[in-house]
Amino acid sequence: MLVTRRIKDVAAFAEPGDAGWARFEPVRIDMIAAPLVMQPTEYIRNSWQGREYGADPGLEVAAVHDGLRWAVRVSWTGVSPGGTDFPDALALALPVRGNPVLMLMGAEDAPIHFLRWQANKPGVKSQLATGIGQSTNSGPELDCSARALARDGRWHVVITRVLGSRGDVAPLEAGGKTGIGFAVWRGGNDERGGIKAFSIDWAELVLDA
Amino acid sequence: MSKRQVAMVMDLNKCIGCQTCTVACKTLWTRREGMEHMLWNTVNTQPGAGTPHNFEKMGGGFKDGVAQPGIRPTVEDFGKAWEFNHKDVFFGGKSDISLAADGGRHGKGPNWDEDQGGGEFPNSHYFYMPRICNHCTHPACLEACPRKAITKREEDGIVLIDEDRCKGYRFCQEACPYKKIYYNEMEGVSQKCIFCFPRIDEGVTTACSRQCPGRVRFVGYLDDPEGPIWKLVTKWKVALPLHAEYGTEPNVFYVPPLSPPKLDEDGNATDEPRIPTEYLVSLFGDGVHHALETVRREQDKSRRGEPSELMDLLIARKWLDMFGPFQKHPRDAARMRPIPANRQGFKNPLGEKDPLSSDEVMASMAESSEPKASTIRFFSKAEYKNGGRA
Ligand code: SF4
Ligand code: SF4
Repeated sequence: MLVTRRIKDVAAFAEPGDAGWARFEPVRIDMIAAPLVMQPTEYIRNSWQGREYGADPGLEVAAVHDGLRWAVRVSWTGVSPGGTDFPDALALALPVRGNPVLMLMGAEDAPIHFLRWQANKPGVKSQLATGIGQSTNSGPELDCSARALARDGRWHVVITRVLGSRGDVAPLEAGGKTGIGFAVWRGGNDERGGIKAFSIDWAELVLDA
Repeated sequence: MSKRQVAMVMDLNKCIGCQTCTVACKTLWTRREGMEHMLWNTVNTQPGAGTPHNFEKMGGGFKDGVAQPGIRPTVEDFGKAWEFNHKDVFFGGKSDISLAADGGRHGKGPNWDEDQGGGEFPNSHYFYMPRICNHCTHPACLEACPRKAITKREEDGIVLIDEDRCKGYRFCQEACPYKKIYYNEMEGVSQKCIFCFPRIDEGVTTACSRQCPGRVRFVGYLDDPEGPIWKLVTKWKVALPLHAEYGTEPNVFYVPPLSPPKLDEDGNATDEPRIPTEYLVSLFGDGVHHALETVRREQDKSRRGEPSELMDLLIARKWLDMFGPFQKHPRDAARMRPIPANRQGFKNPLGEKDPLSSDEVMASMAESSEPKASTIRFFSKAEYKNGGRA
């Protein structure tokens, strides 16, 4: 269970290097390689057969909110050298409505809202998924940010967003409860798309009132 | 499979390696930023490494129907668009400077082994082989894409990448055994030959085929018994796909080149052709024997003054007949539509009487009003959509 403690102001916490984060014990999230059978095309299954990917990155998460804004700090091992074809990346998933299955990336009537950070681009991308291979390039608009720090082979990324819900923005309320999922791509290993490490099921995410 | 399939036949006996097709395509389609290195049409010397270099060793395609792993060609494999020091050479005021690509640190260009060919003197040989995307019937690129971003048009089988669905995963690049997909780093999407579909839709043939001075390229529907493609591919069986063993069922076909006789040590002509038939078989398969025999036989017939449908076809006396149902002039197709953005405000000084006017010519004239260092300007996506205007 990932408990989001309420604090006075999350502004400073937008920086992954902020000393304030030390006060919050991170939670370890187990991740596995997205199985080959789940890869949507034969080409991907055949070309990744016997190739290592999605190694457990030792993902750790802590989160805080101040009644208006939520900040989550995610750390994992796997900083790729520069100049690779694909970027290191992180996505966090929140259900929008209708109990979507995380592993299936949602469904038409049960979308999943992703916030995605990637090492070669500033900021964070909002995406909506309604199934495998069915995520849109532009998800619902919301006020969000991402800052990253690479230290000792580990990425430390803070993603922040406003609380509340609107349209396809996944609901996140003070005093509320929802699920959260994660995916990590190691760009240096050509990981992209469904070739990734991911948390199999929703972890419970609780926000202090 | 699509209902119908447009296809192209290229007669390698006639290609002079002039690259007019390459430039026609470049100026028409790949001028956006991030497309600098893209040549959706390439012409390489065979035997040779091709573009991207050694693409035949990069995997992809199918073996016994099973998708094979492949690698992604880099920009260097394709051959980077070199930057030249034209300004310094022409206007720099230094007498000791000479023309250099990328400050002299250039790698291999897309056509780096031009005219090298193979064989030992006096049996040296080469021929030119243009390549575009084959708009395959069993497209490895389409089947590899996890985003369903690649589609094959129902009405004509043209294979297109939807840039709004594409996320730049580049599985298509790995899967295409012909390595005919480029990656646009600026826009994060894969891009390739579109068989000039906006022209095809208007009954106008592709730019590469219409501009070809060698009358090398035939265009039409694969199943049209009146058109040139069916006649060359199915009836006469003189046009063959490149590397059919890749399993994608390509829809570009080649008439293999004849060559003068091989010379023996004493310099006398032998019965063997100068371009080894085994080499042609390695490219176009066993059908090469039949194709070469047929072309030679019909050639002889023609020499004797006998009629030959095949020779008439290959000689292409009536230029427009090469393009099946796509014979319309681009200008006439354009007349049916509102004036495109790239011609708005442009006044042709010769008006209606201009014998040369065409969309391509007029657009290039409109843009060449002031001299520029480079003849090709690269546009942003937004500018491009707006016909090259900011
Ligand atoms: S040549 Fe390559 S890119 Fe073109 S359709 Fe065939 S597999 Fe796809
Ligand atoms: S195909 Fe035609 S335009 Fe292209 S190089 Fe050959 S002769 Fe020139």
